Amino acid sequence: MNTNLAHVDSVAQPLLELHDIRKRFGGTVALAGVTLSVAPGEVHGLIGENGAGKSTLIKVLCGIVKPDSGAITLAGEAYAPHTPRDAKARGLQVVHQEFNLLPFLSVAENIFIEHLPRNALGVVKRRDMNTRARTALDAIGLKDIDVRWPVERLGIAHRQLVEVARALMTESRVLILDEPTATLTSRETERLFAIIDDLRRRGVSIIFVSHHLDEVFKLCDRVTVLRNGETVTSRRIGETTQDELVRAMVGQQLQKEMTHSIGSSARSETVLSLVNFRHAQSPHEDGISFDLHKGEILGIAGLVGSGRTELLRAIFAAEPPLSGTLMRDGKPAALRSPRDAIRAGIGFVTEDRKEEGLILSMPIAANVTMASLADVSRAGLLDQRAENALTEKLGADLKLKYGGPGKNAATLSGGNQQKVVLAKWLARKPEILLLDEPTRGVDVGAKAEIYALIRRLAERGLALLVVSSELPELMTLCDRIMVMSQHRIVGSLPRAEFSEEKILTYAYQGEKRQTGH
Amino acid sequence: MQLDENLPTATATAAPAVSMKLLLRDAGIGIALVLLILFFALTTDHFLSPNNISNILTQITINLILAIGMTFVILIGGIDLSVGSMLAFCAVVGGSVLTIPDLSVFQAVSLATLAAVGTGALCGFLNGWISAFWGLPSFIVTLGMLNIARGAALQVTDARTIYSFPPSFNAFGSQMIYGVPVVFLIALALVAIAWFVLSKTVFGRLLYGIGNNEEAVRLAGHSLMTYKIAAFTIAGVLVGIAAMVYMARLNIASPIIGIGFELNAIAAVIIGGTSLSGGRGSVIGTLLGACIIGVLANGLILFGLSDFMRQLITGVVIILAVIIDKYRERITAA
Repeated sequence: MNTNLAHVDSVAQPLLELHDIRKRFGGTVALAGVTLSVAPGEVHGLIGENGAGKSTLIKVLCGIVKPDSGAITLAGEAYAPHTPRDAKARGLQVVHQEFNLLPFLSVAENIFIEHLPRNALGVVKRRDMNTRARTALDAIGLKDIDVRWPVERLGIAHRQLVEVARALMTESRVLILDEPTATLTSRETERLFAIIDDLRRRGVSIIFVSHHLDEVFKLCDRVTVLRNGETVTSRRIGETTQDELVRAMVGQQLQKEMTHSIGSSARSETVLSLVNFRHAQSPHEDGISFDLHKGEILGIAGLVGSGRTELLRAIFAAEPPLSGTLMRDGKPAALRSPRDAIRAGIGFVTEDRKEEGLILSMPIAANVTMASLADVSRAGLLDQRAENALTEKLGADLKLKYGGPGKNAATLSGGNQQKVVLAKWLARKPEILLLDEPTRGVDVGAKAEIYALIRRLAERGLALLVVSSELPELMTLCDRIMVMSQHRIVGSLPRAEFSEEKILTYAYQGEKRQTGH
Repeated sequence: MQLDENLPTATATAAPAVSMKLLLRDAGIGIALVLLILFFALTTDHFLSPNNISNILTQITINLILAIGMTFVILIGGIDLSVGSMLAFCAVVGGSVLTIPDLSVFQAVSLATLAAVGTGALCGFLNGWISAFWGLPSFIVTLGMLNIARGAALQVTDARTIYSFPPSFNAFGSQMIYGVPVVFLIALALVAIAWFVLSKTVFGRLLYGIGNNEEAVRLAGHSLMTYKIAAFTIAGVLVGIAAMVYMARLNIASPIIGIGFELNAIAAVIIGGTSLSGGRGSVIGTLLGACIIGVLANGLILFGLSDFMRQLITGVVIILAVIIDKYRERITAA
């Protein structure tokens, strides 16, 4: 990183240059003018909030998504790849966030999957392949794994490094790493950084997408911030600070007015309390601890992958928790299945309506009563009239716009589908409601109605735990916001102290704060 | 990144209610059946003779009873390949009880029914429990049961055929009411019960739910295992009943009967419009599907085609039914 000066000069002749890239998906603007230039041998950080446009930009660069307008040049020539293969031929490689390895093939086969070395008969030259794979792994310091092992045998971190090795097999001029450290431990991260340093010395340009600002500062020469699909700023790393970048990511948005009057600050009784609560995916022994009070709307903020959804699923016992205590109304409760959780008065509006929340091809009434069939049946016989009556009553409560209780849930718009999911849980009269991204894919009007509903429920004494990636949403709704990072709660803010900046600072620096303890 | 590229775009449209759709679906199969009957009535001499109709109904009965059970299993997204072998196993167990000396006919028949149905229920329970508890595909588990039940049937009987049942039991098997075989009426009654269970009870609702979206049903607090086991057990009970009907009609119980019956039962369910991936379909459709297979079998022979051609054409119909189902799915989804 003592080569910063050289890079300043070389930016004048960028290897990769993007000018005003725009892309819409239907009514959603994904990219609204991204401008970016990367010098040869430069490590360029790309940062932005969830949904700022980073993934779409990567898809544009590797030929998966075609931009609507804008120009890209690579080494001075126009660059418009139609497929990832095109991109590769031009020397641009991406190591994706999701793994693209074939688990039952060997490490060597995975590395060479695109060009398996073959003899004249088309038989794979296994020994040759294995030797070359060995060299490739040695080159990135992966000496401890055998290239004949199936990828299945490797841990997630090693798989990530194998992906890097595969990307390096083809001569690349530009290598894009999409959140490569998300699954790595600090030692493996160090190893990856050493590899990146080496590549930089060989003149390869690297675009490094990360949620971790400290990594960006450690590794990158320059950094570009995206917000709402637009380039906000590109800075030399030595000329900026973490605080400045966080402000750039958040923007100078007006603080939302605090229209919501908070109930008395004297807390009412605790309805749910976690003590050192752990689930299968939580890496920390001390787990998670917090209290949820009657009538409280408690928000959970955090980056994608910080463990918010997993926490909700564990509370609801969708996956059985590992250890720790869950207290319901002050008494320890052993919840082993969603059925137990529901009996304990907990409801769960899942993140994914289509996969987990609704049965789209079944009638609205059947969806509404799915969790409370005992209330609309006698001796196992469904009472259609009771079922429709309940659906109509809740439908009216929630201002559901629908053709009738007998229509399929698939006929509804996103917002109304979400109301059906809410109705399903309200039919059970829960005391605690867990909401995961309650307004995702919901139009503005329905969003406001769902907010109003959530507040009304809190006033009636329900305790609500809300996970959302939209900070303004949490700041409008919640009495208190907890920030999660890497499966820990790294901060908790009362309403008076809400600000996007504070929340993001916690979210991005969670790792650092924790190690500082 | 949370770009909402897959925002749902569907808004409230004037789609017909589901029950209406189901009705239309069954109506379509019904029309196909009527056309088929018309065709054979016009092209052959004896197709509509009372004798031939009783014949067809008798021939349909066993397959229909097996197909009712198969409907439950396919509705939850499973499959049961073992019903043919189970039929043989249930029959030899029931047949052994039936031929115990010194029992009154009533005692013998009731005990035999209990034994046959109990055997079927046990095999079905095992199918369901093993696949649900270990999360195995029912295709494989019931493939295992296919061999287990056949082997057990051969072992129990030492590969011998059991016969000489009480004459009145046999007479019952060929009893007619106004030309309609009593055994077919039993099958119809079972269809009615199955229809009621599937469309009017909480149990039936959840079977459809599981076939459509298992995870949503689980997260709504229902135990998937209970319902999966129940569906397979019901299929087993129906195999037991089918075994009793078989013995009443043919007056024998042999360990080698029922080979390939599972395929006919699956064919009836699929032709009847039940989706192989689960969650959609009805037992009324299954009834119509079984009738189509029976009418085809009988009509094609009367038409003068060989049994080989009959088999060939039945195969074509099965594939056609699945293709039509694919289109129906698209229309329902739209």
